[in-house]
Amino acid sequence: MNQQEAVDYALKRALALGAQEVKARSSQVAHVELSQREGRLEKTSEARTQGLGLSMLVDDRFSSHSTSDLRLEALDAFLARAIDATRVLEPDPDRRMAARDLMGSRDLASLDLYDGSHVDQTPEGRRNWVSELERSVLSAGRDDLVSTTTHVWEVTSHGYVGFSNGFGAATASTSYGLGAELTLQEPGDKLPEAYAFYSARHLADLPDVEHVAQELWRRADEHLQAGPAPSGKYPMLLANRTVGRILGAVLSPLSGSAIWQGRSIWAEDLGQSIGAEGLNIHDDPTIPRAPGSSPFDGDGFASRPRPIIEGGVLKTFFVDLYHSRKLERDPTTGGSSNLVVPPGSRSMEAIASDLPQAIRVTSFLGGNTSSASGDFSFGIRGQLLEHGEPVQNVSEMNISGNIRDLLGSYTEAANDTWTWSSMRVPTLLFDAVQFSGT
Amino acid sequence: MNPDILLTGPGASLDMPAGTYFERFGITHEVLRRVMDAALSRGADDCDLYFEHALSNTVGLVDNKVNRASTHVDLGCGVRARDGDSIGYAYTEDLSPAALLSAARTAAEIAATDSRRKSLDLGCLALPDYYPVQQRWEAVGMDVRVPMVKRWEEAAFARDPRIQKVQAFLMDGEKVVMVARPDGRLFQDYQPMTLSFVVCTAVDGDRRESCSYNLASRAGLEFYDDPARHESLVEQAVDRTLFLLRAGKPPAGEMPVVLAKGSSGILLHEAIGHGLEADFNRKGVSIYAAKMGQQVAPKHVTIVDDGTVAGSRGAINVDDEGNATEKTVLIREGRLDSFLHDEISAAHYGVDPTGSGRRESFRHAPMPRMRATYMEPGPDDPEDIIRSVKRGIYCETFANGQVQIGAGDFAFYMKTGYLIEDGKLTQPIKDVNIIGNGPAALEQVEMVGNDLELDAGGWTCGKEGQGVPVSHGQPTIKVGALVVGGVDA
Repeated sequence: MNQQEAVDYALKRALALGAQEVKARSSQVAHVELSQREGRLEKTSEARTQGLGLSMLVDDRFSSHSTSDLRLEALDAFLARAIDATRVLEPDPDRRMAARDLMGSRDLASLDLYDGSHVDQTPEGRRNWVSELERSVLSAGRDDLVSTTTHVWEVTSHGYVGFSNGFGAATASTSYGLGAELTLQEPGDKLPEAYAFYSARHLADLPDVEHVAQELWRRADEHLQAGPAPSGKYPMLLANRTVGRILGAVLSPLSGSAIWQGRSIWAEDLGQSIGAEGLNIHDDPTIPRAPGSSPFDGDGFASRPRPIIEGGVLKTFFVDLYHSRKLERDPTTGGSSNLVVPPGSRSMEAIASDLPQAIRVTSFLGGNTSSASGDFSFGIRGQLLEHGEPVQNVSEMNISGNIRDLLGSYTEAANDTWTWSSMRVPTLLFDAVQFSGT
Repeated sequence: MNPDILLTGPGASLDMPAGTYFERFGITHEVLRRVMDAALSRGADDCDLYFEHALSNTVGLVDNKVNRASTHVDLGCGVRARDGDSIGYAYTEDLSPAALLSAARTAAEIAATDSRRKSLDLGCLALPDYYPVQQRWEAVGMDVRVPMVKRWEEAAFARDPRIQKVQAFLMDGEKVVMVARPDGRLFQDYQPMTLSFVVCTAVDGDRRESCSYNLASRAGLEFYDDPARHESLVEQAVDRTLFLLRAGKPPAGEMPVVLAKGSSGILLHEAIGHGLEADFNRKGVSIYAAKMGQQVAPKHVTIVDDGTVAGSRGAINVDDEGNATEKTVLIREGRLDSFLHDEISAAHYGVDPTGSGRRESFRHAPMPRMRATYMEPGPDDPEDIIRSVKRGIYCETFANGQVQIGAGDFAFYMKTGYLIEDGKLTQPIKDVNIIGNGPAALEQVEMVGNDLELDAGGWTCGKEGQGVPVSHGQPTIKVGALVVGGVDA
């Protein structure tokens, strides 16, 4: 069975067994991954995997299921038992799917998520690629290197989603990646490590091995001889690739589920100012080749861009169809896709040079946040800067506070947007953040 | 959250005796040997086949109704070929001989010579039973699960009027695994798991807080026979949430930290346990790599990693390479005594494996992992430990942690605790990240209580994209100085 046939079979079978509504998603994923260390392959991994996921309504009762056992007799038994068990639950009619005429899909081709280059890749070509990356890292000739491991991978996914109201759509995407990690020896016991990984929908969009190696060494040097700086309030430059951790803390309370369950600091703030005037964040699932792009969302609504925060004002909650009924408001979409903070006009270096003292945060260690209260506390690593010049690599420090205060202290975006993840965000400056150290 | 109801296998019942797992996977001795021979055909030193049939269920109560459930079924086989330290790995969900042979040939490509090694006759070996099950989850109907979660919700609302929302989930699962090795070893194991989970949201004036609590065990339905377990689940979920309503933030900076007994074992997991996983050490990338045999902590510190704690979430009858599990002493009276080994690292160091080769599923190759990690009890009275601190914090419950293996820096997130002022617990505190360096923190374990407790929570350890269930525990201890992520410094 191909993906659509598997979905059609599951829909038909579940309806015949008594389901009132069914949504099914079938996927087939092929992945190849190689890693190399000390001049030889350390690991190769290869598989072609398949799966079927379903959610169903039986007498207005809801359940969801998944299986990788797609043998017909096993699937039939699986569906029959799933439907029987669902009948024992309590009704939840808000789970009903949207009307067919509200559903739709963007043109998949316009998103350009699939690159067929993998068919031209050979086992030898991949081995050469991971070896070249290793050679490039080693070419730095550093005698403080303890170990480096390089990686390359490719993932090809085909899927089909079908709803029992007749809506159905296919998806296809690829992901290619390369990256490396290293560990250094420094005076004392510590063995600082660094990594640099990149992935892209299209093979041609990836950086070359020299770029990856240079970025890896640059980050490694930022981790040498690191230790805590004195506790205090500092301007914080949040490096572009690390902003996602903070954005996650901001966005998690925007979900319909968090609001409905009384666990959202933003529940009463729609249309209100929740951050500095210069703060703008939008969500865009239509960016060609971006990791978070998709032609439709989980409810079968055609995807579209939407503002989240404009001029510091909260514009949107992430409300799926189910929670829209609970909250008695219009649905938007169930979650973020690609988050975009528009770049500013100045470089990170130019912004930093204006600051007598600041901490540039380059990674997080541990930490958590409460979506109910907005309180957060994260371990960080980075650099203490004075007028933009690094004066100390810092580690073993925490930042703590409340996300409402943090958004209020947002000051400026740099022009260095990170394009290798679904968080398309530049380095951001916050003017006074509580750091704890010595 | 992935709730689940029921499960079904490929036409087979979980009640089958161990000897018939072949039927479950639809394979024979002959097929196993052919597949292993294919995995060895390019000159690999060794190989393993890991068959898995995993079934899991969740029922969930939200909005005063048991209105969601889910089921997950996973069936497949992973084939690993080993050539020295190098690994070729492939897996398939199709258990036909042709698909298994194809996966084996793919894995075999890691080596590049013609092999004459052939697999030997298979013999099924007996295992210990660290998780005897009286009532398997497969036989438990929804009519039993639904009232249980309802009971938790009712008890939570009844406990305090400030509780505004309650969610409750019961998760259970059963995994049948079979490991075959070319030296003739064949292992089969039945691995149960349950996790009960209650989330509360409370409001008091303009304060709003949410907190959860969970209990986990490798056990069947009998885990819930004890009424005290239900009471503890609800009381902890409610009381921790209410605690947050009156808690503030500690001051920021470096200070003495007293860790309460139980879930504070997260310190051991992050600060020490990961750094002693031998894959990091054989590559020289762990801060502990050159410290074997050295005194790394005071003499009153003994730390173990133990797969044999009956019913614990981290218990295993056999590891995922087919090696016997054990209680491994990592640090004995302050001296670094052993790493956690899988077969590759054991061969590298010329020692026996410690039964620590674990994997998330058939989609992943095994590597050294923790099981149940804890510190043995020490000489001190917990009250004396608190009394010894002039100004610091007392950490009572925890949410998560992380470590950098090479630098040795670790962090854990304290959910609830107290300030310590002049030897007494004073203001309630909450939501702070605490950060330190593993070897430095070990050296600064100044006092160890006599009150060891293994935490009963559902901890999952993540490493290189693989999650495995683990346990940890600790007596009350005092660490001389850690950096506390507080405010107003």
